[in-house]
Amino acid sequence: MAFKYKLLKAIDVAGLQVFDPVVRLCYGEEPKLQLRRIGLFIVIPLLTLAAFVALWAYVGPRHKTKAGEVPSPAVVLQAGQDTWRFDAWEDTKAADYKRAGQDREQALAAVNARIEELEPQAEQAAAQLAEVEDAYRTQLMEQVKPLYDEYRQMRVDFRDESQRREAELEDRAAHLSGSVAEREAFLDALREHRQWEEGEKAELAAFKDQIGEIEDAKAPELEAARAQSNDLGQELQYLRKRRDQLTSDNLSLKLADAEQRLEQREQAFLQASSGEEALSLANQILAEEAAMERIETSTYAKPWTLPDQIMRSILCVFTGFVLASIIAIPIGILCGLNRVFMAAMTPLISLFKPVSPIVWLPIVFIIVGGFIPEPSDSALLDFFNAIPVLGAYDVNPAFLSSAITVALCSLWPTLVNTALGVAAIDKDHINVARVLRLGFWSRLVKIVVPSALPLIFAGLRISLGVGWMVLIAAELLSSSEGIGKFVWDMFNNGSSQTFAQMFVVVFVVGLIGLLLDRIMIVFQRLVSFDGAPTAL
Amino acid sequence: MAFLELDHVSLGFGPPNDRTEVLKDVNLQVQENEFVAIIGFSGSGKSTLVSLLAGLQQPEKGCVRMHGQPVTEPGPERGIMFQNYSLLPWLSVHGNIELAVKQVFPRYSRAERKAHVERYIEMVNLTPAADKKPSELSGGMRQRVSLARTLAMQPEVILLDEPLSALDALTRANLQDEIVRIWGEDRRTVVMITNDVDEALLMADRVVPLTMGPEATLADAFTIDLPRPRDRTLSNSDPDFKHLRNRITQYLIGLNEEAKALRVDERKEMPDVRPVDFYATRRTSFWERLRNNDTDAA
Repeated sequence: MAFKYKLLKAIDVAGLQVFDPVVRLCYGEEPKLQLRRIGLFIVIPLLTLAAFVALWAYVGPRHKTKAGEVPSPAVVLQAGQDTWRFDAWEDTKAADYKRAGQDREQALAAVNARIEELEPQAEQAAAQLAEVEDAYRTQLMEQVKPLYDEYRQMRVDFRDESQRREAELEDRAAHLSGSVAEREAFLDALREHRQWEEGEKAELAAFKDQIGEIEDAKAPELEAARAQSNDLGQELQYLRKRRDQLTSDNLSLKLADAEQRLEQREQAFLQASSGEEALSLANQILAEEAAMERIETSTYAKPWTLPDQIMRSILCVFTGFVLASIIAIPIGILCGLNRVFMAAMTPLISLFKPVSPIVWLPIVFIIVGGFIPEPSDSALLDFFNAIPVLGAYDVNPAFLSSAITVALCSLWPTLVNTALGVAAIDKDHINVARVLRLGFWSRLVKIVVPSALPLIFAGLRISLGVGWMVLIAAELLSSSEGIGKFVWDMFNNGSSQTFAQMFVVVFVVGLIGLLLDRIMIVFQRLVSFDGAPTAL
Repeated sequence: MAFLELDHVSLGFGPPNDRTEVLKDVNLQVQENEFVAIIGFSGSGKSTLVSLLAGLQQPEKGCVRMHGQPVTEPGPERGIMFQNYSLLPWLSVHGNIELAVKQVFPRYSRAERKAHVERYIEMVNLTPAADKKPSELSGGMRQRVSLARTLAMQPEVILLDEPLSALDALTRANLQDEIVRIWGEDRRTVVMITNDVDEALLMADRVVPLTMGPEATLADAFTIDLPRPRDRTLSNSDPDFKHLRNRITQYLIGLNEEAKALRVDERKEMPDVRPVDFYATRRTSFWERLRNNDTDAA
């Protein structure tokens, strides 16, 4: 029983009250009430979600764009899976590059076996695709040919009729008398002719469109054959690249090669007779040694993949968030403690709070660039790159500008909340501090900050949310590798596949934002005490 | 020379042309080891008086003296127990008391400090709740923590600002006995503010009425020479007790009528407005209602 209440408490602190009725139901507590609550908190939200997906699946594909139709949920799911598979493949290739000895041979054998298995399949698929394509084309021809014939006939008829009418009109014009009525009648006839011509042309165009629609219609069979062939082709290409990484491009093999060459040079150097030859060989030995060193430290040049970019974005938002907190909390405390300081800061806060990240970023970008004239030789960048985890994601000026922009936009809620929390401290608590004669620092640490903590954390939570929204825009603008850059690349690519991947990003960004918010809620609840404001 | 004294103390607020004198010409001498109760109606300036004694506020005229030295700032030698507990909600019972002990006895070792804190928790019978947060305690328990914190500072004077007025009658009686018992152990000097005649009679050596504000001042004291320990069940039968109670009550009622009579001339016409009830329109959030349901069910 005690465990039940511990569990419920944990759920409450974690901000997952949605599952409260489930736990209670499992313990058989008031099943009727719990079922009603489950219906309210779980079933209804799920139904809404399902209704949204259904609406999306219906409406999306009905809107045609330059990058194909708006992708349906199924297409987006597939695009998401492809994105993750691409990352896994790249990771494997990077690992292959470093494989040596037995490990390398085993991997190579497996790759070769798989290639052998796939090659006939791929050939078969290609053949089948060609077959299906042929069949489809013949069928289409059969279907479309009479229509085209009809179309051509219609055009000829139209041309003939048009010529006949025009000749008639010409003839009439030649024999016009001086009567006004007759001239007016001629004008009407010409007008009528033009109208007829336009009507006929529109009819022809509509007919042509009809044919085009038949030609463009998707043949599910053909699409499936093409998808299968593509899939096999992609996997084969991946396996061949792997084979390269395990053989010709492999690190251990390249090293062995270099070593061998070095040894040859050394042998030759030992036996060199003339001074000229010895010098030349000695130089070659040094060059080979340098080359070996380069090879040893080299890695597989893995392209940025979405999971890596997500990780970099999260690190970037945390860098900005930490920066914002370091600035906002002390200033907020000073504002709350001192009315003069608050009055002094108010115009600055009010002025800069509404400024958009789009404005901050270019300014920050230029200013940061001023501190880092040479990215390859910068103490600032070296400092960040020496931090574990963060260093692995290549901190560059664009990263720092994005992080600083995040900080500039997200520090305000924390600042204002901290100032409010400190200023609103209970007068009784201050009296306690006065009776105990606490000094400035102990008063700050033991009374002021703890009593303001719930509000400070409420501010931090809003800040992190704002920062996450700002970051994507900042990355997009500064071309800092991350989710924003991914979206920008996909937008510029403009294919239906990349269009779907932008939708994947919507869900990725939403889910991570949700997760960050939940984490902050846990912190907020941990520092909250009775009567302190908490939000759900 | 008195141990703690108020010497012709006056205090008011407002701008010079529209001054309200809260206290005017207040004199009080408290002897060492004496338990003095100051009794008065609400709004008469009782809390201001205790703030002056503690040094949280400074008088405009006159002087507050302790051992003959003027009181210029609050300090742990005059321990004050606030009406609304003033416990720090993020600290446990132990933590709240420890904060005070750490500050007042900085030289204590960790073990000494712990022993000291535990002794005072024990004294107010809160040992089982030592690790609880104030929010998990009842009103009476919170006030006991506040008492323990004040006592743990080992002040020379204990100032009690209506310590029991927020409590229900039963808890109140219990705590009254407890305070008297603890006071009886080492007989420190106590100044207690109260609005309850019985409470004053049961606990104090001397009861000093505060006249109605504004311009409140202390009237002549009633000396309570009832033998200790005093039994509250006697309060309905003991003739001395009844006599004293009648006298004080009569005096206070007299004060009230006098004040009313004085006020007739100054009565101001009140504007005909109705206060807005913000709470009537305040909507409870969904989660709040849910939580309320849960506590109701429990």
